[in-house]
Amino acid sequence: MYNTKVRGELIEGNKTLADVTSDILRPIEAPAPTWWFVAMALSSLAVLWGVYSMYLTVAYGIGMWNLNNSVGWGWDIINFVWWIGIGHAGTAFSIFLLILRQKWRTSINRAAEAMTVFAVICAGMFPALHMGRIWDAFFIFPYPNTRGPLWVNFNSPLFWDFTAISTYLTISASFWYLGMLPDFGTIRDRTTSKVRKALYGFFAMGWTGSSRQWQRYEAMAFVLGGMAALLVVSVHSIVSTDFAASVEPGWHTTIFPPYFVVGAIFSGFAMVMTLMIIIRKFYKLHAYITDSHLNATAKILTFVSLIMGTAYLTEIFIAWYSGGKFEIFTFFHNRITGDYAPQFWTMFICNAIIPQLFWFKKVRSNLGMLFIISIIINIGMWFERYNIIVTSLAKDYLPSSWATYSPSIVEVGVFVGTIGIFSTGVLLFFRYIPMMAIHELKTVVNPADKGDHNQFVN
Amino acid sequence: MNSERYIGVFDNEEFFEKAVQTLKDAKIDIEELYMPVPVHHAIKNITGSSRLPVFAYILGWTAVISIFSFLYYTTVISWPLNIGGKPSAAYPSFVIVTLVLTILTVTIISLIVFTIKAKLYPGKPALVFDNRALDDKFLIVLTNQKTPDAGAILRQNGANEIIVKTL
Repeated sequence: MYNTKVRGELIEGNKTLADVTSDILRPIEAPAPTWWFVAMALSSLAVLWGVYSMYLTVAYGIGMWNLNNSVGWGWDIINFVWWIGIGHAGTAFSIFLLILRQKWRTSINRAAEAMTVFAVICAGMFPALHMGRIWDAFFIFPYPNTRGPLWVNFNSPLFWDFTAISTYLTISASFWYLGMLPDFGTIRDRTTSKVRKALYGFFAMGWTGSSRQWQRYEAMAFVLGGMAALLVVSVHSIVSTDFAASVEPGWHTTIFPPYFVVGAIFSGFAMVMTLMIIIRKFYKLHAYITDSHLNATAKILTFVSLIMGTAYLTEIFIAWYSGGKFEIFTFFHNRITGDYAPQFWTMFICNAIIPQLFWFKKVRSNLGMLFIISIIINIGMWFERYNIIVTSLAKDYLPSSWATYSPSIVEVGVFVGTIGIFSTGVLLFFRYIPMMAIHELKTVVNPADKGDHNQFVN
Repeated sequence: MNSERYIGVFDNEEFFEKAVQTLKDAKIDIEELYMPVPVHHAIKNITGSSRLPVFAYILGWTAVISIFSFLYYTTVISWPLNIGGKPSAAYPSFVIVTLVLTILTVTIISLIVFTIKAKLYPGKPALVFDNRALDDKFLIVLTNQKTPDAGAILRQNGANEIIVKTL
């Protein structure tokens, strides 16, 4: 069994290779538990409400939303940035821990990558819906066209965003699927059901675990990992330029790219923690998601929370230090005090104060507390985006253009719908895809290969 | 051509790795290895290193040059209908699209090359010698044509079982 001096056993209970296969495939091979059907029904209801709200948005236009001339971005862009932030951590988790040779990632990376794919799909819906005329979405593709021809504006952060998000989705999904090939092959060879054999066999793409396949697989994982690492840092930096490249007070700051990347990693890691606890508790996979895994994730969250707190304080300091009266107004009279103080303080307390409870070992080893704080962080991160977007737009340079904003029921419906899409995706993932990368866990159980397994393993 | 395959089944990764090394040293032609986890020393003995990372690196630079040239063409040269002004040739802003599209191009083309080289495609029937090969067993496959005493050699090298299959 693989041991580290810092974390002890990464898989508890002296498991054999065969044990790993049967433990991880048990949720797929056994009938679905009752709670799964209940959760699926609730998620489907949320999806239905979301689809109806999206229908209203597309059929009647974005007049169905409560946006106005001043607050032109509301829940749509808040939710877009929130989802893309959550989606950010899956690949970040997988890649950074791979680069840092952290073997404890093997229990978690598959679920984190799944989370990425579903979250990015949810994120992508908001800019598409916000276009209003979604059927003209192809205008954004750079191709020789009959409209002039006019090329898209490659200097625009909004176009950078489009390329970054679509690339991120493609790469995350490819990375996730590539990692599943050996596991689909394992299910195909193990199952006695003809339907499963045919289905998983189709998706396994003829995987047999031959030396030639493994050699190319590892080389491909190496290339994809390198590409994804670059992308992880660039995607949320690019999302931040949607704001930072404008002149709105509170947006036009150079701290935005690192601030957004760290914030994204923060919310994504919190969501990974939520999923880890659900998997551990409901599927009884204590041997694979150990206290040590949760402890390590909580420590990362504590550290990132400190960075978030520093970023918030830096923004406030720079607003004061610059002496710009619009910046001072935005931060001191519109966020810290003023109309949007509740949203600001919710953000600050949820993201910078409450996660500091993880300094206490008792909190880090309490599953209930871990779960609650992981949810609180994501609530705080949602308010961070609200704080950035709505406060700056609602009260900018001209008091005559000041406006208030609250979402319409259709906007709420679209958001609830994306939560439904995300949870439906995650539930289907729990049911039909191995929640952990079986072949990677086996490298932790049986590291006879002189520690070389961590060379290129996806 | 039909021939008998001798499949040595190993329970233990270390014995498997040693057996591959011994067979290689004895210049015995191993047809293929099958394993549930990649055993790097054994894999290198059979296949050598992959050239995919080198290919991806060259592809990456080709993509950088092509995409930057494309951006230059579309933003600086080709802008025939000028309504509301032409975007300025702001080279720093090309960097972001160049980086992201390079990553996209390298990924997609590398994936296509990977599936071609590894001979993988959706729905491909798998040639499975033993259903346990992706669970907990390590297999060495020899052919009777090239290695007359294949069964005995595998047994001597620590195989727990020998399976004979005719293809």
